[in-house]
Amino acid sequence: MSAAEAVAVRRPRRLPTRFLRSELALIFGRRRNQAGLLVLAAVPVLISIAVKVSSPGRGGDGPDFFGSITENGLFVALASLTLELGLFLPLAVAAIAGDSVAGEANLGTLRYLLTVPVPRARLLAVKYLAIVIFSVVATLTVTVTGIVMGLALFGGGDMTLLSGTQIGFGQALLRVLGATLYLSACLASLGAVGLFVSTLTEQPIGAMIAVVIFSTASFIADTIPQISWLHPFLITHHWLAFGDLFRDPVAWNGVQQGIYVAAAYVLVFGLAGWARFAGKDVTS
Amino acid sequence: MSTFTRRPAARWLVPAVVAVLLAAGGSAVGVLAASARGGLPHRSPSQLLVDVQKARLDGLSGTIVQNASLGLPSLPGVGGAGSSDMTSLVSGSHTLRLWYAGPNKVRLALLGSLGESDIVRNGTDLWTWSSKDKSATHRQVPLMKADAPGRLPATAPVTPQEAADAALAAISPTTKVSTDGTASVAGRTAYELVLQPRATGSLVESVRIAIDGRTHVPTRVQVFARGTQDPAFEVGFTSFDPSTPAASAFAFNPPPRTKVTEGSGPASHEALPGSGRRGSDKHRSDKPGSASADQRLQVVGTGWTSVVVAKVPTGDSQAAGTGSGQLARMLKVLPRVSGTWGTGHLLKGTLFSALLTDDGRLVVGAVAPEALYAALGR
Repeated sequence: MSAAEAVAVRRPRRLPTRFLRSELALIFGRRRNQAGLLVLAAVPVLISIAVKVSSPGRGGDGPDFFGSITENGLFVALASLTLELGLFLPLAVAAIAGDSVAGEANLGTLRYLLTVPVPRARLLAVKYLAIVIFSVVATLTVTVTGIVMGLALFGGGDMTLLSGTQIGFGQALLRVLGATLYLSACLASLGAVGLFVSTLTEQPIGAMIAVVIFSTASFIADTIPQISWLHPFLITHHWLAFGDLFRDPVAWNGVQQGIYVAAAYVLVFGLAGWARFAGKDVTS
Repeated sequence: MSTFTRRPAARWLVPAVVAVLLAAGGSAVGVLAASARGGLPHRSPSQLLVDVQKARLDGLSGTIVQNASLGLPSLPGVGGAGSSDMTSLVSGSHTLRLWYAGPNKVRLALLGSLGESDIVRNGTDLWTWSSKDKSATHRQVPLMKADAPGRLPATAPVTPQEAADAALAAISPTTKVSTDGTASVAGRTAYELVLQPRATGSLVESVRIAIDGRTHVPTRVQVFARGTQDPAFEVGFTSFDPSTPAASAFAFNPPPRTKVTEGSGPASHEALPGSGRRGSDKHRSDKPGSASADQRLQVVGTGWTSVVVAKVPTGDSQAAGTGSGQLARMLKVLPRVSGTWGTGHLLKGTLFSALLTDDGRLVVGAVAPEALYAALGR
């Protein structure tokens, strides 16, 4: 077989990325989404400056990871992720996911999109892939800003883990990136819920609010001990397990369960989105 | 696909079925695996006790989950489920990690959400560490005899069999002892030693002690309250690895910028962070003339329904002091009860009841409150 033949055989199999590229251009080209990413990046900037200008004696105060910021700048990223996990990051993902189908329906562009001769399931899959990419970018925005600000203001060096042992800077950086990717996966599962809700309505704002309510209600339910049987099934229950990556040795159990729950939500709500969207009469 | 085209509603079955499968998936796998293996060959209670005494384990590591629903009111100053403070263990659910390589190499870590408390014993060094306030304590402890790691202290002349029989004979008048070979703890088959009080007045329905089928190490203790399905107290392994952990697990060097408190003298119960902080300890020690405990304690009844009546030093509950202030605040939470025996505050838990009368008597027992009143009347 000659090289030319091999190319000729391979070419039709290549997945066309044009639709995905146009989705990403839509998401990252919109001013409101760029402003949202700026807000996400503002939190680590605010935290690092606030800790820097406060009196050095008050090191141990504040929420989780705050006390360690002055020792190692990497903790700015972790403290920011912990803070933004409650509202900002879910809100950002909800805005994108809620907009994905309902936004097109609202603008009246959904029916033109459906004239493209591809199965609706594939259209939904590409929409979801764009949401996943946004989740990673949003979380990385927080982490990278946090690392840059932290290293600039407080410096790096060895990191003290929750267990009281120390690891080198390279390994610490790796663990921070691991925590970021884990949280991206968690947020991407919320994005699957958002994609499903987005197929139910033509109002993107409504879909977005529903997703934020969903994640907030899940956080609240997680704090009520009387329904502890429900906790392992909640989408947010294992999100804070990213802290287990900073133990020695790493406690993988919580992270594993978190990934299982995230994958389960993606599968169930992805299929529910397909069940709704594949049979839906699109009139707008 | 054609089915879905003809009946679009049928599509909804797919996510529904997947949801049920995934939700059941995690728990069902463990149950199926355990039942497929079937039960372990039958062993009598005395055989099991002998197994436990003979169990030799050079090391283990694992994760322990503890659940307590004792029905206690929320205590001031005691952390809840996510706390990594050792005093929070009395309520809620907690996860601990244990590394063990003989009595001189032990590490126990209490995992909070984004926090951790550790107790590390490495040879003659005993460290405690708390990530919340970045503090560590250190003290020197004498080495324990390392020749028999993991061995339970057996009374000198008797064989394990005789000791087991003696123990069973001692408890059998009050307790029905049986075994069960079908438990599954941390994914491993286990025997269960079931202790059931013969007396019906006890709040305790049964105590189930799971003993690992292969290593014969106790791996779970559950205490069931009368008339409940779920255990009121449970502590057990969720993962169990009977291999010696690496020596690095026991190495602790306080990280820089840590407040290190050097302790002196041999470690006592104060080794646990928090337990040394209790005001009552200090209170008791600077009262040299106080009566000995025997004079003030009185046990009413026998076995599981026995009730302890203790005389709290009069005026102590009202006296000034940090411990009493906390006690007074706690008492305010508890309901007031009264009867022919007087008046007092009642704590009604799922496994025990306690009553502190206004004239300074403390009554505690694993019985319903009515039995406490009866004990006071005697």
